[in-house]
Amino acid sequence: MRPDVTHPPTVTCDSLGKTWKGGLAAVSPTDLVLHAGQTTALVGPSGCGKSTILRMVAGLETPSTGCVTIDGAPPAEILRRAGLSVAFQDPSLLPWRTVRGNIELALTLARHPVDRAAVDQLIMLVGLDGFGDTRPAELSGGMRQRAAIARALATEPRLLLLDEPFGAVDELTRQQLVQDLPRIWEARGTTTLLVTHSVTEAVMLSDRVIVLSPRPAKVVADIDIPLPRPRFPGLARTPEFVTLVDDVFAALSHGAAMADRTIAAQ
Amino acid sequence: MTAASGLAASQHNPWRTTLPGLLIVLLVWEGVGRSMGGTYLLAPPSLVLLWLGDNAGLVGRALSATLSNAAVGFVLGNLAALLLAAMALVWPASQRIVTGVALVVFCLPLVATGPILRVMFGPGNGPQIVLAALAVYYTTLIPLLVGMRAAPASWFDLVRSYGRGPLAALGYIRLMASLPYLFAGLQIAAPAAILGAMVGEFTGAERGLGVLTVRAMRSLDVEMTWALASVATFAAVAAYWGIGALTRAVLRDAPPLILAPPRDDTRRGAPLLRAITGLGGVIAAILVLWGGSIALFGLNPFFAKGPWDVAHAVFWASDAAQTRASLGVALMGTVLLLVPGYLAGLAAGAGLAVVFTLLPKLAGTMMPLAIALRSVPIVTTAPLVVLLLGRGATGTIVLVAVMVFFPTLVACLHGLRQAPGQVMDVFNSYAASPLQRLVRVQIPAMLPAFFAAARMAVPAAVLAVTVVEWLATGIGVGTLMALSASVSDYDMLWAAVVLAASLSALGYAGVGLIESRILRIYAPEQLT
Ligand SMILES: Nc1ncnc2c1ncn2[C@@H]1O[C@H](COP(=O)(O)OP(=O)(O)OP(=O)(O)O)[C@@H](O)[C@H]1O
Ligand SMILES: [Mg+2]
Repeated sequence: MRPDVTHPPTVTCDSLGKTWKGGLAAVSPTDLVLHAGQTTALVGPSGCGKSTILRMVAGLETPSTGCVTIDGAPPAEILRRAGLSVAFQDPSLLPWRTVRGNIELALTLARHPVDRAAVDQLIMLVGLDGFGDTRPAELSGGMRQRAAIARALATEPRLLLLDEPFGAVDELTRQQLVQDLPRIWEARGTTTLLVTHSVTEAVMLSDRVIVLSPRPAKVVADIDIPLPRPRFPGLARTPEFVTLVDDVFAALSHGAAMADRTIAAQ
Repeated sequence: MTAASGLAASQHNPWRTTLPGLLIVLLVWEGVGRSMGGTYLLAPPSLVLLWLGDNAGLVGRALSATLSNAAVGFVLGNLAALLLAAMALVWPASQRIVTGVALVVFCLPLVATGPILRVMFGPGNGPQIVLAALAVYYTTLIPLLVGMRAAPASWFDLVRSYGRGPLAALGYIRLMASLPYLFAGLQIAAPAAILGAMVGEFTGAERGLGVLTVRAMRSLDVEMTWALASVATFAAVAAYWGIGALTRAVLRDAPPLILAPPRDDTRRGAPLLRAITGLGGVIAAILVLWGGSIALFGLNPFFAKGPWDVAHAVFWASDAAQTRASLGVALMGTVLLLVPGYLAGLAAGAGLAVVFTLLPKLAGTMMPLAIALRSVPIVTTAPLVVLLLGRGATGTIVLVAVMVFFPTLVACLHGLRQAPGQVMDVFNSYAASPLQRLVRVQIPAMLPAFFAAARMAVPAAVLAVTVVEWLATGIGVGTLMALSASVSDYDMLWAAVVLAASLSALGYAGVGLIESRILRIYAPEQLT
């Protein structure tokens, strides 16, 4: 079956693993499914292999073991149809293009028509109104990240891969973005993979949180987030939310403790 | 005002900051020239201007001939650089060979290739254009190769994530990322093209500044010599500034300094083995190109000597021992002039850069002048230095030192500005003295630029020494080349060319070796 770029795809990882050239194991063989139209968060300690998993899903890195299939086809197929977008951990904006120019570049690369009004709306959405004609060098770190998010959304991807998209964004803006952005991909029907350090952000944004162990990454918990959508700001203070956050934290420390024990045993 | 802001200001308005320095130079020149009146050494600017006024037509025609040849050579040389860079990009395994061969060809002594080209082309503009092209392609190729790769991996990931391939990466990323590097290279290339064209004219052209320079030297016409040198210098500096203005019109940011040699993406096997196979590959490619082009163009074997002819003349011919002896003596003579001049130029350049950093006001005035003087064509300074210092060793050594001095100074000043801001902040927060900052932060930060300059200065120094030897001194490889060209001893001429090119390529590689040893400690990021 070929991936259909008008519907959100299902992503399946079969014993997906990565060992780097020097013999460093980043990801132990892992089975993982990202359900169509859902947002799945990947949380885990720094350096555990989250970005590596995301890059393998995007087809930018070759797995050492196992494979990724997107609606039954290899990632190359959806890449060929420009059906996915990645917001990289570092914003990777081209310095010689303005914010608008960077967003339009994504459209050009994906062979989409460039719709100026739509681009303006995106710029507004990520709170960069008035900075459309500014070059990245004159933006703050958080503003650059927001520009990168806008760029990732511009092509209306059916598979959206976000690698710590709010890392350098201040708390208030982050809350605003966490409120606003999901509306876009919910409305369009997008399969989203969100890599993040923030447990509350993971619970707030996703339908499922997958907790990874320290490197080499393996799944220590797969927690459903059955909270209603659209999510509202007050949600974070409800007992259900707090319980879920506690569950994720518990899984994280369990993973860390297990890793410590393995090291001690060796 | 700091040296950095002085430099930044000068890049936007060269006249305002240069004018005081320029005036001082002119006044000193006038004063010394007048006091030396009648000694036939130095003509003051006033007399130079008078001479130029009287001979405006002559000089104008010569200048336009030189400039048009230089322009054609500039375009052709840069096209060649673009093609070579594209080839190294499409087929990365070829990069070692491409850059190696390009370096050796760049190291060919212009003064010897000139006569050979003259015999091949006959009268006309051929040699001038070819020499201008040869003088520029390397200084464009290397920055292009660096620039094409001067982009973080994630930019290429971005292109791939939209399903696009290497062509899109080339169009949207590599070309744009290499533009500042390309312009930086072109800026150095523009004066070099004028120099190349003038050397071509030395070999017996009909028209051009080079022709007049030779005439002026023969007749010991001091005013004419100084006037021609001034005109050539003015043209070279104008070309340098012209490209600079174009750069600022096209790019927003100042062009970067080119530090690192292009990365070699095909690292496999042990370093020594790699070096040997790389060197072997380069030598094989050169021999094939050399022999092949002689056969391909059906060149006259009387003057077009292939690798085999040269080897025969040096090793097996009946007078081989004598040939080897002449080559050895010439090499010794050249090295004795070259090494002191080269080292003195490096030391003076780096030393003055350090002084300028401690005295930023002075740097603001002198920097633009130094940048401009960097592009003074050596073939015009050579006669002047010979006039001033005589035909002995001192003159040659000074000239080599001057050739090395200006690029080193400019590069080191750029390098001193590269001191990382945060590290400087740490030092400032401990109220470190300027001297401590200099020794602990700025000088280590300057090292990559210093070595880049030292590397590029090797071929320039060899060029300088051979030009002076050719024109004046009567010793060394340059003189050997001049003599063998004049008596049509083409075996010897080609052997001398091989010798001079090897000298400069080996020197370049040797400096590169020291560079990587030292940078491994002080600036490992430059070596990735
Ligand atoms: N290109 C590479 N070559 C070799 N090793 C790599 C490479 N990229 C990452 N690694 C290693 O793989 C491991 C996992 O890296 P990864 O970037 O996936 O971590 P991460 O979970 O995203 O961390 P963080 O949260 O800090 O971004 C790290 O130990 C890292 O050193
Ligand atoms: Mg990461």
